[in-house]
Amino acid sequence: MIFTETPAYFDLEVKVNGENVSRRVPTHQRLLDFLRETLQLTGTKEACGEGECGACTVILDGETVNSCLVLAVETHGSEIKTIEGITSGEPPAEIQETFVAEHAVQCGYCTPGFILSAMQLLNSQTEITDEQVREGLEGNICRCTGYQKIHHAVANAGTKP
Amino acid sequence: MKYSRPETLSQYFDSWSTWNASKVALLAGGTDLIPKYEKGHALPEHLIDIKAIPELQGIVDGENSIEIGSMTTIESLKRSAMIRRYFPALAMAADSFAGAQIRNRATLGGNIANASPAGDTLTPLYAYDTMVRITGRDSDRTVPLSDIVRGPGEVNLRPGQLLQTVILPKSGRSSFFYKLGLRRAMAIAVVNFAVVYSIADHHYTDLVITAGAVAPRVVYLSSLTGAILDDGLPRREYMALVDADISPIDDIRASAEYRRMALKNLVDHYLRHLLERGHGR
Repeated sequence: MIFTETPAYFDLEVKVNGENVSRRVPTHQRLLDFLRETLQLTGTKEACGEGECGACTVILDGETVNSCLVLAVETHGSEIKTIEGITSGEPPAEIQETFVAEHAVQCGYCTPGFILSAMQLLNSQTEITDEQVREGLEGNICRCTGYQKIHHAVANAGTKP
Repeated sequence: MKYSRPETLSQYFDSWSTWNASKVALLAGGTDLIPKYEKGHALPEHLIDIKAIPELQGIVDGENSIEIGSMTTIESLKRSAMIRRYFPALAMAADSFAGAQIRNRATLGGNIANASPAGDTLTPLYAYDTMVRITGRDSDRTVPLSDIVRGPGEVNLRPGQLLQTVILPKSGRSSFFYKLGLRRAMAIAVVNFAVVYSIADHHYTDLVITAGAVAPRVVYLSSLTGAILDDGLPRREYMALVDADISPIDDIRASAEYRRMALKNLVDHYLRHLLERGHGR
């Protein structure tokens, strides 16, 4: 059984973007705050803070989750991928290029979450229907673009050979 | 706040006696609990994360029933061919449940224990006469789901007891679920309903309808189904009988009057639709 040795802290060990990380964290700290404040991975954004908007989406053990709804302690022993980890730098990931080419970005605040949901969707199957694009992005909200350009970017990325 | 994550059921029960029951909270998917803490709800002294307990996981196909571990995620229900085949209304509820990020965390047991009047899975579970297995250190009982849901946010579980499995009896009947939300994804139901039915010769021969978000708990529309089963047909004039079994309220999503009207019109529409289709899924 995993348990906290001291009441308020936990010695967390996780793999973040391929690197092993060990930190003592407050047991009530959200994964979102662990990533942004403790690890300074500020690409993951907070908007609603209650799981409605998807701006804080990360990939936890191969599944997209809202990092505002997960405690850091819950991820002990897990693998986490954030927007910083989808490419090793230059060049950007293909889906990022497609978002730029399709003008699927306005203020950009929702973009990291959309990119991770899109990558998850694109990795899950080879051919993607419009309906699957809508369903795959339904947990992410954008208040600028009206979704059409985001939808096009993901659909186009999904039809590339 | 202390945090514990037991890795077997016996570890959980053995440790329970060392924990202070009044200071403990159980953590499942966390999709409701964690934002509450963030909004200032007092943290428990000790949080017990029950997700890693293997006895609470998995979907098992039995001869007469399907048993679902309470920590099975909503996404696993959505992806299960077994659930879609035998209990399509539950699969449809999983389809309409929030978005992928939440479905990947939220659990069936959490949705039950949260006991929201608008909980998406409760409405089909009631319609299927679902049983739940409640286990404790020295106890093990299987009771109807409706016995443990007391009211909004309240379930009839004693300290230390766990909702271990959710048992859906196979019945061979068809079923259907509909959720009216203010948008398709990420919406809390304005009303929802589930229909479990059999059709022979263009008449309903068996019919159960449950509705959510129209009373403190899920309700059976028994007055309506009684009238329909008398002659087998869902006549428009019967829809007024829906009022006998519901007590909706006004809230941020809709007025009580809107809920009454929407439920009657949707039930009327879909009962005709299912009858025309003549068979179910």
